[in-house]
Amino acid sequence: MEAKEPKKFIVPIGPQHPALKEPGHFEFSVDGEIVTGASIRLGYVHRGIEKGTEQRNWIQNIYLLERVCGICSHVHAMAYTLGVEKLAGVTAPPRAQAIRELVAELERIHSHMLWLGVAAHEGGFDTLFMYSWRDREVVMDLLESLTGNRVHYSTNVLGGVKIDVTPELADTIRKGCDFLEERLQHYLRVVTTDETFLARTRGVGPMTLEQAELLGAVGPTARASGVTRDIRIDAPYASYAEFPVTVVTDNGGDLTARFVVRIKELFESCRVIRQILDNMPESELVAKVPRRIPAGETISRVEAPRGELFYYIKSGGGDRPERVKSRTPSLCNWSTISTVAVGHKLADMPMLLAGIDPCFSCNDRMIQIRRKGHEDQLWTWEQLRRYGIEYYR
Amino acid sequence: MSLSLHPLIVLLFFPGGLFLLGSGMFYEWIDRKLVARYQNRLGPRWFQPLADVVKLLAKEEIIPQGVHPGLFIILPVIALASALTAALYTPLLGLQPYYSFQGDLIVTLYLLSVMTLSLGLAGANSINRFSLVGATRTITQLFSYEAPFMLALLGPAIAAGTWRIAGINEFAGQSLWMILTQPIGFIVALIGLMGKLELPPFDAPEAETEIVAGALTEYSGRGFALFRIGKNVELVVGLTLVSAFYLGGLMNPLEFVLKTLGLLLVMAGLQSLFARLRIDQTVGLWWRMGTLVALLQLLAIVIGRALPGLF
Repeated sequence: MEAKEPKKFIVPIGPQHPALKEPGHFEFSVDGEIVTGASIRLGYVHRGIEKGTEQRNWIQNIYLLERVCGICSHVHAMAYTLGVEKLAGVTAPPRAQAIRELVAELERIHSHMLWLGVAAHEGGFDTLFMYSWRDREVVMDLLESLTGNRVHYSTNVLGGVKIDVTPELADTIRKGCDFLEERLQHYLRVVTTDETFLARTRGVGPMTLEQAELLGAVGPTARASGVTRDIRIDAPYASYAEFPVTVVTDNGGDLTARFVVRIKELFESCRVIRQILDNMPESELVAKVPRRIPAGETISRVEAPRGELFYYIKSGGGDRPERVKSRTPSLCNWSTISTVAVGHKLADMPMLLAGIDPCFSCNDRMIQIRRKGHEDQLWTWEQLRRYGIEYYR
Repeated sequence: MSLSLHPLIVLLFFPGGLFLLGSGMFYEWIDRKLVARYQNRLGPRWFQPLADVVKLLAKEEIIPQGVHPGLFIILPVIALASALTAALYTPLLGLQPYYSFQGDLIVTLYLLSVMTLSLGLAGANSINRFSLVGATRTITQLFSYEAPFMLALLGPAIAAGTWRIAGINEFAGQSLWMILTQPIGFIVALIGLMGKLELPPFDAPEAETEIVAGALTEYSGRGFALFRIGKNVELVVGLTLVSAFYLGGLMNPLEFVLKTLGLLLVMAGLQSLFARLRIDQTVGLWWRMGTLVALLQLLAIVIGRALPGLF
């Protein structure tokens, strides 16, 4: 009798699951509580934004690209405007660059605090979730009083920014930062000393420096494994050359290290925000950018809260881009999950998933796989429409 | 204090039946409200548990494919019935239990476990993968907290020299509060009760971020409502038992309300203090720590009672 392969018991997480705030599909094959295999399937929230940019002019695209992500909306618009300015040969005035950095760092605070809450919730620590989100309201209010919006700040215009920082506003932001720093000290103490929380994070999902390099991890996820890579330092953009940040790394590589790195980054953000407010350069807010951007292509890289955000922009010399491609940090980090998940408990999976701070909607792209002997599956709009009608009949 | 009532009234209205359901929902509300306030939230309004139950009862009950329909329907009923029956042996509202005999402590504990067993069976009855994992965890957790919880409740019984709940209650009312004489037993009993009720941090069997709703994933409508009410009743019975044994007995309604609510206050605090334990951590905690210290406590009590006789 030939040995039968034991039937795999697969626990599906998603596309709709309470652990996921956005749709994605994860299949964990388990042996009891131990995970023996993990697979990831994305693509449930593909919105065709890259294609959409080709239908809109340079200015309209700022608004569209800002909506790639609801959490790190400013960095998307900033990466795009920096790229377009580079193509047009225009540099935004120093004050505008400083304001861009200011909003980007405030956004990092809001994003990391949001993540702190979500990650705590995945570990069943709802008290930390509620408290960190309550304190996050402070930075949300700061962003609102600065830009007028809570989510999509629409700070950027081609050639500069559309908001200014008044001295009164600067004082409000300083006060907010004082409060946030105090609270963040507390949260840092909680995530590094709370025994039940450490039991869920210490040693969970360890990723070595070599693995992080090999898997192409970016952002805080990589920095928690000791990778010293931060676009803000490696290739300063906006005003990061005048107001530099220092890179925060940790050698732990596990979930605890990711918590520590993200929280410590926020102290750095608070420090640089104060520095910007104290030394705000005086200048115009907007430089003039032509309506038609000269032909050419460029890349633009910025450090989003989740890691390196990469934009490729190509202009044909018209009033709309020929191609805009964005590579978001979550996409780079997915492979770390499927690699380190094996051997962990099923209960660790939600925290492990949350550990890279995934953002689903921003990394869904159309992927065309070309295999030999298969014709391209290129469908016209009419074919696609008919397929949809047949599918739901 | 005791009242003599017609048996039917005892079963249907007071202290069984309606009173238990009502107090169960009331305690659920207190618990949710307290946890919410600890977490800096507003929390539900006082009628929210009732509204939940009414809504659930009004909903369609879906019997999924792959289950044994009879078991699927009867398990919630058994769970609720056993929790309600357990209440009859406990000094609810500080009154004398209506039925009382030597050894009813064991019967009550057994009836409380039937609730958890039904939960596990309900999960195992389904072919849903979340339910199966949840059922495994529920039963695993049952095996881990049950022994220490039992030992923690046996401590006062041995001290009182009777295995009758009413007897222990009386003894507790006359002697020093047993939370002072047996502090370890009290802690084990309180945490064991939280494990029994699958409250955070022992909510791995129904960890929503991993396995949706655990064993109850496939339940909707009536069955789900009955399980929830069963759990609420178990909360009241459990609080009554622990406060009767360790907080100096329950002699009148005022004492009952104050002591059980005081206990609930502490329990809600514990619920909001910790991150969820993994199921292996729960088992480890109970067998490496809980059982051992409960055994030590028991040993100390036995020796303490035997020593005066020896000399």
